[in-house]
Amino acid sequence: MSGGAAAWIGRGGLALLGAALLAVPFVLPELGYGFWVNIVTEILIWSLLAASVNLLFGYVGLLSFGQALFFGFGMYGATLAVIHWEAGFWTGLLAGTLAATAMAAVAGALAVRLTWHYFAIITVVFSLIFYFAAMSNKTLTGGDDGLSFSAPAVFDMAGVTVTLADPLAQYFSVLGVVAACYAIMGVVVRSPLGLAFAAVRENDRRARLIGIDVYRTRLVAFVLAGALAGVSGALFAFFGRYASASYMVYHVSGEAVVWAIVGGIGTLLGPLFGTALLIVFRELVSTVWENYLFAVGGLTVLVVMFAPLGLAGLWRGALGRLTAPRAAPAEAPADPVAPSADARAVPGGR
Amino acid sequence: MSDVVLALAINGLVWGLIIALIALGLSIIFGLLDIINVAHGDLFMVGTVGGLAVTVATGSFWLALVLVPVLGFVLGLVLERVVIRPTIRQAALTIVTTFGLSMMLQEAVRATYGAQPRRMAPPIEGTVPLFGIDYDVYRIAAALFAALALAGFFLFLQRTKLGTWIRAVRHDPETATALGIPVARICGITFALGTAMAALGGVIAAPITTVEFRTGVDILPFCFMAVVIGGLGNLQGTVAAAVLLAVMEGVVTSVSDPTVARIVSLAVMSGVLLFRPHGLFAGATR
Amino acid sequence: MEPAIALETRGLTKRFGGLVAVDGVSFSLRSGRVNAIIGPNGAGKTTLFNLVTGELRPDDGEVLAAGVPITGLPPHRIVREGVSRTLQIKSVFGGLTVADNVRAAVMAHQGIRSAFRPAASYRAVGERVDALIDEVGLARHRDRKASALSYGDVALLELALALAAEPKLLLLDEPVCGMGPEETERAVARIRAVASKVDVVIIEHDMEVVFSLASHIVVMASGAILAEGTPDEISRDPRVQEAYLGAPEDDE
Repeated sequence: MSGGAAAWIGRGGLALLGAALLAVPFVLPELGYGFWVNIVTEILIWSLLAASVNLLFGYVGLLSFGQALFFGFGMYGATLAVIHWEAGFWTGLLAGTLAATAMAAVAGALAVRLTWHYFAIITVVFSLIFYFAAMSNKTLTGGDDGLSFSAPAVFDMAGVTVTLADPLAQYFSVLGVVAACYAIMGVVVRSPLGLAFAAVRENDRRARLIGIDVYRTRLVAFVLAGALAGVSGALFAFFGRYASASYMVYHVSGEAVVWAIVGGIGTLLGPLFGTALLIVFRELVSTVWENYLFAVGGLTVLVVMFAPLGLAGLWRGALGRLTAPRAAPAEAPADPVAPSADARAVPGGR
Repeated sequence: MSDVVLALAINGLVWGLIIALIALGLSIIFGLLDIINVAHGDLFMVGTVGGLAVTVATGSFWLALVLVPVLGFVLGLVLERVVIRPTIRQAALTIVTTFGLSMMLQEAVRATYGAQPRRMAPPIEGTVPLFGIDYDVYRIAAALFAALALAGFFLFLQRTKLGTWIRAVRHDPETATALGIPVARICGITFALGTAMAALGGVIAAPITTVEFRTGVDILPFCFMAVVIGGLGNLQGTVAAAVLLAVMEGVVTSVSDPTVARIVSLAVMSGVLLFRPHGLFAGATR
Repeated sequence: MEPAIALETRGLTKRFGGLVAVDGVSFSLRSGRVNAIIGPNGAGKTTLFNLVTGELRPDDGEVLAAGVPITGLPPHRIVREGVSRTLQIKSVFGGLTVADNVRAAVMAHQGIRSAFRPAASYRAVGERVDALIDEVGLARHRDRKASALSYGDVALLELALALAAEPKLLLLDEPVCGMGPEETERAVARIRAVASKVDVVIIEHDMEVVFSLASHIVVMASGAILAEGTPDEISRDPRVQEAYLGAPEDDE
């Protein structure tokens, strides 16, 4: 192992990232890039959707193509709470998260009976069912056009009211919630539960044979991932002050998968960097090149081909070479992509 | 009223046969390469666009009907070699690869052909009376083309050496390798064949649908429904399910919202996936 | 006094389509000795183990472990009833370190499922993990990835995973399959040491290993019991010889 040095570089990087994120709303406008504060906010929010894909695929080995369903439930949970109950930011966030969690519990109870490609298909199917339902039920959801609302209060006490319309309040509310989500994820994946996740990911048959309830473990992960996607959806609703059924389509799920893979699955912050890279790319390129998604698709294929562990894998590899130049090549990081015991043999054995 | 139901049921049958053709392509790729090809709908879309482009360029739809599937086959060969084969080791990620491929195909078409939806004049004009309604001749012809292609495909699988090899590899790749069957090449040909079938479906469907870069997005879920409900790897089941689903959606659409029909189909699909993973038509054998 | 029974089956049956893989098998294996199940490929031995551990549901019949009925329980519950097993193709958590492999097993056994405390901070679990790793002789590989271990070491790790559940009964499916002579010797020594504390049932093709370990042998052929007895009785039984020499070699 590359030992302490790598760990210190990692910790230093984390501190740097934290400081940079705290400085964003003060520094970027000064430099004349005020618009980019919103982009950073968007990255933070979407990265949670990618993180939910990562929690399932990178940590438990289930590739979901339907996380947009829970994103949508988070979005509508928050929006409807604001519109019908005049909820503030925190109540709305809670409502959205609970809606997504409940949906994930129901969908998950069925979906985690399946694995492999079948799991991916069923998650798409579930999200499509609710996508069509949301599109046609215009009175509740507003369909394609969606529902909009005005910025709710983040803080309302002692006669002082701060709403999301205040840019600083909005940015730091989002940053705080997103950071909390990553912190919780960080704790969970190191816990005994996280170890059980890893065992199920690596070898579900052996996991069963050491006494792990594989079904329940997968379900817990599915519900947690659903909650994360729900938080992401609720935050995005607050950020855009609206909700639309069009965000429940499976392309949104697919994009989240791409962000997670490009960033590096099985690592806590990989999805954040993957999301950041692709959203910044979109912002820079989409204005000059309408078909920039062609490059995104190409990048996706290339990453699977050459760097299936994503940015995080490349970073770890570089760090390993840097801190252990003479030792034998650093051991490959956990490879959640490698087919585990339940993976089918590739036809043709190529 | 019942005329409407009948017309929609016949429409469903026509579409069902076309979808069956596309879904069959999806199914052989899944059965042989164990790939969830999310780009399959876009390959159909490329077929519609290619059909229109060739028809416009040469003035002959019939030439397009022959040429586009051949081009599709070549495209399939290239995609399999360049994109699929190098990534198939990441078995769990094939769905991600094909998702990336899907983006590339859509954007490539949008960049060259434009984002504007277009319509294509049917190569055969006119209507025929059918069960008391006037029905487009071309739609009937389209159903016939699709049915012929399906029959041809099954004959090919049963009667030719290549078809036998494909069935052998599907059944047991290891034994096939041991028997000296060039498994890697068969995989490439199968992918190309699946692509050609999607492209052929595209040309046939071009005159009765809108031609644009997003067409594949709508057709894909339907193909998956047919493949899953018919039983993964059960080719006849796929055809039956495609026709059944399309007729069912046609009929439900006549009495209610088309979205309701779609939701019902999807719910049936989830039920099959969860409780009858070998498909609705599979016997008790395992 | 009746001798204690480690594993008992009554009329255990499993069909796959038209094939009867396990056909009304009834036996009762005594505690305190190593029992072996042998038989040609395709005799239904591994299927029998799968029925015992709950990975397959029997079509008929019962399984009792130390007198407790476990038929139809899911695998993870059967482990909690004190039945552990190893697999013919050695099966561990490749991406995890040796220590984390064993830690996962110990925590599963002790029912530790917290989501909030670091797994590495459980002191007592850590001690148990180290003891198990020592017991199977993998201490120097403690922090290596399981996927980087040699085949023989993977087998030892798998044994540690099985022992982590503090089983009363240990089922070993071809424990020396694929091992060289040296590794085989090491594995046999471990199994003998383990068998002094836990009831062991092995499936094995290597007759030398079977005869050196087992004091009771069940011979299966075509899903049914062909013969049962001491190694001496079995080695003299003409039916057994016929089953081995007469049966065509095919894959299980």
